[in-house]
Amino acid sequence: MEVRGLRLYYSTRKGVVKAVDNVSFQLMEGETLAVVGESGCGKSSMAKAIIRLLPRNVHTYDGSIIFEGRDIMKLDEETFRREVRWRKISMVFQGAMNSLNPVLKVGFQVGEPLMIYDGLSKEEAIARARKMLRMVGIHEAFADRYPFELSGGMKQRAVIAMALITNPRLVILDEPTSALDVITQANIMNMLKRVRDEYGLSYIFITHDIALSSELADKVAVMYAGQIVEVADAEIFYREPSHPYAQKLMASVPTLRTDKKLEFIPGAPPSLLEPPPGCRFHPRCPYAMDICRREEPPVIDLGGGHKVKCWLYAKR
Amino acid sequence: MAEPLLRVENLCKWFEVRRGLFSKPLYLKAVDNVSFELMRGEAVSLVGESGSGKTTLGRTILRLLEPTKGRIIFDGKDITHLRPKELMWYRREASLVQQDPYGALPSFMNIYRILEEPLLIHKVGDREERRERIFKALEEVRLTPVEDFAFKYPHMLSGGQLQRVAIARALILRPKLVIADEPVSMLDASVRIEILTLMRELQEKRRISFIYITHDLSTTRYFSEWIYIMYAGHLMEIAPTKELISNPQHPYTQALLAAIPDPDPENRKRFRKVPPGEPPSLINPPPGCRFHPRCPYAMDICRREEPPMIDLGGGHRVKCWLYAKR
Repeated sequence: MEVRGLRLYYSTRKGVVKAVDNVSFQLMEGETLAVVGESGCGKSSMAKAIIRLLPRNVHTYDGSIIFEGRDIMKLDEETFRREVRWRKISMVFQGAMNSLNPVLKVGFQVGEPLMIYDGLSKEEAIARARKMLRMVGIHEAFADRYPFELSGGMKQRAVIAMALITNPRLVILDEPTSALDVITQANIMNMLKRVRDEYGLSYIFITHDIALSSELADKVAVMYAGQIVEVADAEIFYREPSHPYAQKLMASVPTLRTDKKLEFIPGAPPSLLEPPPGCRFHPRCPYAMDICRREEPPVIDLGGGHKVKCWLYAKR
Repeated sequence: MAEPLLRVENLCKWFEVRRGLFSKPLYLKAVDNVSFELMRGEAVSLVGESGSGKTTLGRTILRLLEPTKGRIIFDGKDITHLRPKELMWYRREASLVQQDPYGALPSFMNIYRILEEPLLIHKVGDREERRERIFKALEEVRLTPVEDFAFKYPHMLSGGQLQRVAIARALILRPKLVIADEPVSMLDASVRIEILTLMRELQEKRRISFIYITHDLSTTRYFSEWIYIMYAGHLMEIAPTKELISNPQHPYTQALLAAIPDPDPENRKRFRKVPPGEPPSLINPPPGCRFHPRCPYAMDICRREEPPMIDLGGGHRVKCWLYAKR
């Protein structure tokens, strides 16, 4: 998959919110991209732009998303629904475990995508759902139970099973373990790794938790104020990020096993209604130069797929 | 030896759960038989998963909930069953910072009024003294320039700023004990460290005894001298922070630590060794050790008898049969 110049703006009463602004990245088959950033940086909007589930107040939605050789942005809604959404790309929404329908059995809900997208009968779909529940670590007897009979961790697993049941190539995970306890979270991460290895899946893993992102990430993209400011391989990113924002973000992560001086980033992220001119991070950046205040930095290729949007790395 | 500021002895908080009008009531044992001591000026982290009883323990200590059994000794005085009138004194000595700064502050009062309220209730100073104290409190939590912030309303502030107001309010009566219940879990990562650093700074400066309730073990090493681990209503392990992290003894603590990632590109290639399952129901907890159904080392006795708290020396204590001498 290759995303180029993806933009998603919303129109609100206060003006146009540039939630996703000119975002580009590549994702290889079987690879996982972690998207990290603070709340309101546009992570979830980017996910919705990829799977094309948009609210009504869209102002601008363009760019291209090349997936398995074709530009899925060019597909009409009907084709996209029939051939891409859930068939090829599925998603686990933030807080989805609380959106399970309380009056339908878990097996039916997990199997429902098969009835809708593959036209399977209810019996066949539920049979497949049982298998999928086993795959994500829930005893298949729970297919006949209702959501309230499941614990939080099990509900989250069921929601993940629902995203996997159509055998997609890419699954977008939007904060798939927030609100779960750490041991449950670790169990779900183990399960996601096992599924990844078994099916050769790709994930886009959206999280605000940097430490957690390293559980799945082959590559990391850092978002700030609607833009990707750095993309790097995990090996490089977790040891030595390049963008000043990414460096600060890493320095603010408390670590359990090593002593380090924790830092925080003074100030707050900018409004997406009227982002600052030039580099959007410049008001909080310790290295801000004159040019950062005036001109938007280009994306600079540091080699090996490592890209950073910062004037510090520009050759002059 | 110095007298502890707070001594909790076999404290229990049970909630009655009725299934039907005439059925026998059941008890949800949210806090069961918890004992510990907290010294003056010491910061401890009370760590547990959701439903472990950590919030209930904090609220019971503050007498926001009535204890079911046991004793709470604060500053040499038994406060377990203080009557409302006498409680006024305790309210001044012990305060709370809540998790949700958006809900903790009344939206119809400006910041000045919010901070003045406790001073008025406890009849502190005259108008001029109160004003001085409020401005100083705002300065201490770095909401500057104070003249700007004092007359704003909560909706005009960010989450981090609101939490600073909540901290200022908790400290304005100069309490000896502050309990902060997940004070940063609703804030963004970069703001969290800022708030925790600020709280630590004020705690050290004023020599406040501090209980930091959290589910996030990774922040505890920076902000407390002690860690208390809670599971299913019981205190499972108590140790100095570094000792607990580098040398955990309780199988539950070991599992908890194993579950927490540090940012490391190697993580994606390995599986974490964590026990399956989830914490038990507190209405009908497993007999014996409450962790035994998930414990990889469970023995016969663990299924039958509740383990005692065993002293390993150096303040390290663990509630586990593995360490009992037989």
